[in-house]
Amino acid sequence: MTIPEDFKTRLKIAKSKIKSEIQNGKENRGSFMGIAFKLGTELVAAVAVGTIIGFILDSWFDTKPWLIIIFFFLGAAAGMLNVIKAANKMQKKD
Amino acid sequence: MQQFTVHKIGPEIKIAGLDLSFTNASLFMVISASIIILFLFLGSKEKRIVPGKIQLIAELFYSFVAKMISDTAGSKAKPYFPFIFSLFMFVLFCNMVGMLPYSFTVTSHIIVTLIMALFIFVAVTIIGFFKHGIKYLSIFVPSGVPVVLLPLITIIEIISYLSRPVSLSVRLFANMMAGHTMLKVFGGFVVSLGILGGWLPLGFSVALTGLEILVAFLQAYVFAILTCIYLNDALNLHH
Repeated sequence: MTIPEDFKTRLKIAKSKIKSEIQNGKENRGSFMGIAFKLGTELVAAVAVGTIIGFILDSWFDTKPWLIIIFFFLGAAAGMLNVIKAANKMQKKD
Repeated sequence: MQQFTVHKIGPEIKIAGLDLSFTNASLFMVISASIIILFLFLGSKEKRIVPGKIQLIAELFYSFVAKMISDTAGSKAKPYFPFIFSLFMFVLFCNMVGMLPYSFTVTSHIIVTLIMALFIFVAVTIIGFFKHGIKYLSIFVPSGVPVVLLPLITIIEIISYLSRPVSLSVRLFANMMAGHTMLKVFGGFVVSLGILGGWLPLGFSVALTGLEILVAFLQAYVFAILTCIYLNDALNLHH
């Protein structure tokens, strides 16, 4: 199949348009919004997981309520770590 | 709420004490999957250099996912393209089918999203151990940490790793469920305020429907891109 001449020029124009859009950072707006959605749950999920681990360990070792308290704070720390990691990743992309 | 209830369609099927009856949730999963298959089949039927409308959309999806994988996980993740593509398409179409009136949103049930997230979590862990052996455990030990703090940091890293499937599934489920509930609440306002005051919530629910379609797309995108990021951590071990 031969490619018509008219199509080639149109392709060239479209390609240069995409290039300029990428340079202006227009194209990535959606993905940044996607990553922003990610941060909130990241923080909460780690706290929940930490607390659940604490609860399970407490019922194993019969040490109520100490491990649940410790693991709640460890979970909170893990949540912050998650957010920091995600934010670092976002900055690296720029 | 009525739109979230699961009910059986057809006869009750019980195998080894498990209830495997066909429900409306399974029906809408089948509908979403068949729409995807039909759409991709039509899109790849005529292979023209200047694509038609359906072919263009299908190619757009393909290049979108391919670019996402190569941007976030690098060229090593190329073999996992079919999995991530099917995952993205399935979540996207389940969300979008759920936006139609009288339909059922499969992804607004945590059991569906949790199973997908757990599958990804287990698969990524297996891939990590398969590729790096016991060295994969080094993702729990970040470099440049004082020895005194190392046990604490390791526990925190393990909790952070275990929280991945939870955050992945809860995000998708909560966004879909909250969005549909919000639409329902605003719809209820329209009815209760009647013809005099109902116009404002009606406008809101039109705007919210647009927002929900954006959220449906974004959540599918986030689900897929996080799978890529986890895959990247498992494939390229560096700290």
